[in-house]
Amino acid sequence: MTPLSRHGRLLPALGLVVLLAGCGGNENTLDPHSRAEGKITQIFWVVFGFSAFGFGVVVFLLFLGWWRRSKETLPFGGGEKAATGLVVGAGVALPIVLLVALFVYADLFAMKATGAPPRGSAQLTIDVTGHQFWWEVRYEGTSAVTANEIHVPTNTRVAIVTHTADVIHSFWIPELNRKMDMIPGQSNRVLIDATKPGVYAGHCAEFCGLQHAHMVVLVFAQPRAAFDRWLARESKPVSGSPPPEFTTKGCADCHQVRGTQAKGHVGPDLTHFASRTTLGAARLTNTRTNVAEWLRDPQGVKPGNKMPDLGLSNADVQTLTSYLESLR
Amino acid sequence: MTTSAATTYDLGHARPNGWWAMVLFVAGETTLFLMLFATYFYLRLQSRHWPPPGVDKPAVLVPSLLTAALVATSFAMQRAWRNGRLLNRVAALRWLALAGIVQGGYLIWQVHDFVDACHKEPPSHSAYSSIHLTMLAIDHLHVFLGILLTAWLLMRFATRITPYRLRTLQATAFYWHAVNVITVVVLLVDLSPHVG
Amino acid sequence: MAVASPPVRRRIDRLERIWAERPGVLGWLTTVDHKRIGLLYFWTTLVFFAAGGAEALAMRTQLSQPEEKAIGPATYDQLMTMHGVTMIFFFIIPMTTGAFGNYLVPLMIGARDMAFPRVNALSYWIFLGSGIFIYSSFLIHSAPDAGWFDYVPLALKRYDGGLNIDFYALGLIFNAVSSTVASVNMIVTIFRLRAPGMSWNRMPLFCFAMLAASLSLLLALPALVLDCVFLELQRKVGFHFFDVAHGGSPLLWQHLFWFFGHPEVYIIVLPAFGIATSIIPTFARRKMVAFPLVAMAELLVAFIGFGVWAHHMFATGISSSVLVLFGAASMMVVIPSTIQVYAWLVTVNLGTPIFRAPLLFIGGFITFFVLGGLSGIMFAAIPLDQATTDTYFVVAHFHFIIFGAAVFPLLGGIYYWFPKVTGRMYDERLAIASFWVTFVGTALTFFPMHIVGLLGMTRRVYTYQHGLGWGIYNLLETIGGYILAAGLLMIAGNIAWSMRRGIPSGRDPFNGGTLEWATSSPPPHYNFAVIPTVRSAYPNWDEEDRENDLLRLEDDELVLSTGHETPLSTVNDAALDRVAEMPPESPWPIVVAFAVSIAFALVLTTHYVAAAAFFAAAVAAVGAWNLNEPEEA
Ligand code: HEA
Ligand code: HEA
Ligand code: HEC
Ligand code: CUA
Ligand SMILES: [Cu+2]
Repeated sequence: MTPLSRHGRLLPALGLVVLLAGCGGNENTLDPHSRAEGKITQIFWVVFGFSAFGFGVVVFLLFLGWWRRSKETLPFGGGEKAATGLVVGAGVALPIVLLVALFVYADLFAMKATGAPPRGSAQLTIDVTGHQFWWEVRYEGTSAVTANEIHVPTNTRVAIVTHTADVIHSFWIPELNRKMDMIPGQSNRVLIDATKPGVYAGHCAEFCGLQHAHMVVLVFAQPRAAFDRWLARESKPVSGSPPPEFTTKGCADCHQVRGTQAKGHVGPDLTHFASRTTLGAARLTNTRTNVAEWLRDPQGVKPGNKMPDLGLSNADVQTLTSYLESLR
Repeated sequence: MTTSAATTYDLGHARPNGWWAMVLFVAGETTLFLMLFATYFYLRLQSRHWPPPGVDKPAVLVPSLLTAALVATSFAMQRAWRNGRLLNRVAALRWLALAGIVQGGYLIWQVHDFVDACHKEPPSHSAYSSIHLTMLAIDHLHVFLGILLTAWLLMRFATRITPYRLRTLQATAFYWHAVNVITVVVLLVDLSPHVG
Repeated sequence: MAVASPPVRRRIDRLERIWAERPGVLGWLTTVDHKRIGLLYFWTTLVFFAAGGAEALAMRTQLSQPEEKAIGPATYDQLMTMHGVTMIFFFIIPMTTGAFGNYLVPLMIGARDMAFPRVNALSYWIFLGSGIFIYSSFLIHSAPDAGWFDYVPLALKRYDGGLNIDFYALGLIFNAVSSTVASVNMIVTIFRLRAPGMSWNRMPLFCFAMLAASLSLLLALPALVLDCVFLELQRKVGFHFFDVAHGGSPLLWQHLFWFFGHPEVYIIVLPAFGIATSIIPTFARRKMVAFPLVAMAELLVAFIGFGVWAHHMFATGISSSVLVLFGAASMMVVIPSTIQVYAWLVTVNLGTPIFRAPLLFIGGFITFFVLGGLSGIMFAAIPLDQATTDTYFVVAHFHFIIFGAAVFPLLGGIYYWFPKVTGRMYDERLAIASFWVTFVGTALTFFPMHIVGLLGMTRRVYTYQHGLGWGIYNLLETIGGYILAAGLLMIAGNIAWSMRRGIPSGRDPFNGGTLEWATSSPPPHYNFAVIPTVRSAYPNWDEEDRENDLLRLEDDELVLSTGHETPLSTVNDAALDRVAEMPPESPWPIVVAFAVSIAFALVLTTHYVAAAAFFAAAVAAVGAWNLNEPEEA
């Protein structure tokens, strides 16, 4: 009737999960680059082990039921009473022991590593405010304001304080820590402490509307010296003023360029736009052609985002693109 | 099932289906009110001022007297059921009428105060007035449903008593006891800003 | 059946006449026969299942490769929301409680109908009305689009100004009216209409599961209804419950929704446990092991289910000390499930099982339920949930556990009770083939979601960029989705073909243990010529009792062929209390449901006065419905 146990097919598939510990983009929950994410990965493999055992027992009992389908007793010869005993033992006693152990290990001890960093326990605090469909980033104690790309020094306790300007978003860097929702009226805290330099990406993890799919945040973990240089440059306002189109076409109403009259707060701060590697919350890489494409048709690039098509002429696009590229 | 001129009908010793349905319906509505009370205190926990500045606390005297009058109708409903059970149709009718009048008066007065409150501190003003008015409105709706049941019984008992109608009275009496208890708790919750 | 003696023949003819219903479509519109209402639920929910499935396949096609252009974000958001809402509120719950529950519970407890037959019809027509109401949103491209749990502030007017969310909130309130009325009806039926002798320890486990599901439904729905009332009041009338600026709280929506949300998922799975505990004894050919433990577990999982709701809110920043409580509760809720899993496994091992299609589906059910349950345990480890919440890992959890633990037993149940409902046999070879295709389809569709979820793919994304390593898994899932659809179409084809051309199955082809197998297939309108007496939890296996029924039919004991009657028994020990006159077919249910439907449509289009008028009309119709009520009830 059933040549191959109907569940044999599933066991090799479980092996796939082991494979992924190494590969995938840089948003792999099981490829930790911080102590906190390391603890989460440890919990996963512990529970995965017990689950594989539990699943194995169940599949074995199913297979046994098929294999011994003509016999009326349990393998070790037990009858009705032994059966009830087995149900109580395996169905109540064993799970209680395993679950209590898991609860104490994961919910009492391990949770300390991923808990919110208490105030004052971080060397650097960054306020990240979620907007529909991009991230506003402000470094506490400095005038540095940027968007979508967060620079942090490695091996430093950095407290991310989450806010939102509109709906609920969720800040999440899979390889650095758990996710933390950005809820109106609340400022939640999550610790970022990257052990290795690198770029760590994350997608917004709470459905926030049409472009939830393209609300990506990048964390650039740098050695301390490089970070300090970046932060100093990022805090400096711009000298010189933007081309007239920047004001006449409305850019200044929605964007801020520190050191100029442009004070808008609807869109990202563009003071050091050219120093960012991506645009539109990592929808495109920050190249001249992409910036031009974005200015010409933002709704085409990211349909539903809050920057409207502004009907710019080719000349406007070229002028504004050059200006934006000058904002190092 | 004999319908001889016994002093009462044999309604069987188990509770009728209609009674069970009413008990379950009331259990559902009680959960609804528990959710309302949970929301009320949850929103209160979230806010610094409850009620917000410029909104005065709900009146105490009139609502308390009205609620007391409504609770009294439970006694009238129970009397109506006792008389109905003993087939004293006219007596049952009289108690039902008395209960109906007080219940109707209660609701008219409360709705009047409710409309008044809507103008004075409109729900679009704050979460406090939103939950305060919604809680009262849902309670008034349940009182209104009770009045419909009382009116239905008045119409039925005006002609004759049958076991089916007795069962309706039994279930309605149970409903009114539940609504009265809920209305008292709604009053206490509504007046809670006066306490701490 | 031996040749009936003349008096018995006369009694049966009288029963046929009394319980007969109008022929043709009109009969179906005014029916109060719990079996016809069950079939109406069955076919309606299958159509919604097809709709939900089509939405799923459209999403899968869009997600099959990075940067696909098949579906834009706006359409995708409507598809994913309607897929979730349809599958949960318009397929799985009405199918298990409405179709299986309505059809089988009266038969299993030896009754002739539900406690309130016309109210039973009313809940179906209101259910149909709510389905048409919410699906009419597609006609104006305004289907709900903020996800099936519709978090605020995204669902507030400021961020979702169209009618989309009004369709959602009013549609769910509308649907909840039907579910609440149906659950009251089911509970009273189980309390009062059990055949004499069917005390609690002799009631089939399917009925325990339906009782637990109905109680949960009755006590969980108010939270959802209140949440939707708050949302509509804020969206349409300017109240403030959820906006911080006026003292509201966005988390209020989540607390109320999930207080309903988790019991909801046990409401989904409990009837499926009931189906499993009906199929296993029949095909393992022995009684369920640890009967009282399993019955208690079914009630316990519903009860504990009310205490775990905030495990859906682990990442919202609620203080850890509160979350730990919900982590503990989520661990405790596992125990009733492990009890049942091992009870099923040990019963199969103790018996001499024949692996026909229904039992194969139960094998698939246990496999996927345990797989889904174990990922559920992973969420109870709070830090792990905070890393995987809102990713495809959660989508994998609930599809394995809903598809595995609710849809597989349902598919097995369709095959198992097919002979009872139609009097014909399904095709066994095609059924076994359809199991394997559905099994492989389910595994291939949902298992890769674990992996791509751990690789950072969040939920509700209409597309994803190249270079993230997600493409291969999404492609596998899409292929799996089409295989799964093929398997389901094979099942649909099997029942469609066998309905007309299946070989006659006789009364009880599988020698089932419960009472539905003690009457003919398909059962007559009155179910049982004589109300059976019960002395064990598997009355159909007590041959001497069933022979005795024929004698009782001879001496007219509890044949009740003088009226449209069914016996009522006491709650605690099911002793015969008295005989009640059941209402015949009636047009009132569909009339009331029609008035309620118009009222909801008018509320949607802000014609509040007209809506109030139609609600009043509905109340008046209920009054008229009760005008010519019987002497005794
Ligand atoms: C039928 C539906 C169903 C069922 C039965 C369950 C059962 C369980 N669910 Fe699930 N769940 C959902 C449907 C369901 N769930 C849905 C729809 C969502 C997502 C909603 C949304 O966000 O859209 C969800 C999400 C969800 C979350 C939130 C995830 C997140 O969004 O962050 C959590 C968290 O704790 C959870 C936990 C559990 C647990 C502990 C169980 C337990 O009841 C499982 C117990 C079963 C077993 C454990 C199997 C038995 C195992 C064995 C016999 C093997 C041996 C055992 C051991 C080794 C102990 N579920
Ligand atoms: C009962 C519950 C249920 C069921 C059965 C399913 C079934 C399926 N679901 Fe899902 N799903 C949910 C409940 C369910 N789902 C929920 C609650 C969500 C969350 C929504 C949200 O995030 O808000 C979700 C979300 C969800 C997503 C994530 C969307 C996103 O986050 O962007 C995906 C993606 O692939 C998916 C896929 C599928 C697939 C391929 C199936 C397949 O199993 C479908 C196969 C079925 C068919 C193809 C139909 C065939 C029907 C017949 C053959 C009957 C025909 C007969 C007649 C008409 C007579 N579902
Ligand atoms: C009505 C508001 C509005 C106007 C007017 C506007 N923008 Fe924007 N802009 C936005 C928003 C909102 C975003 C973020 C889009 C996203 O990523 O979702 C944005 C994004 C950008 C970005 C990408 C920034 C980054 O780092 O991702 C650039 C560059 C930009 N705008 C330039 C301009 C220019 C030049 C003009 C004038 C021609 C302009 N904007 C006019 C609202 C506006
Ligand atoms: Cu921001 Cu999703
Ligand atoms: Cu849950």
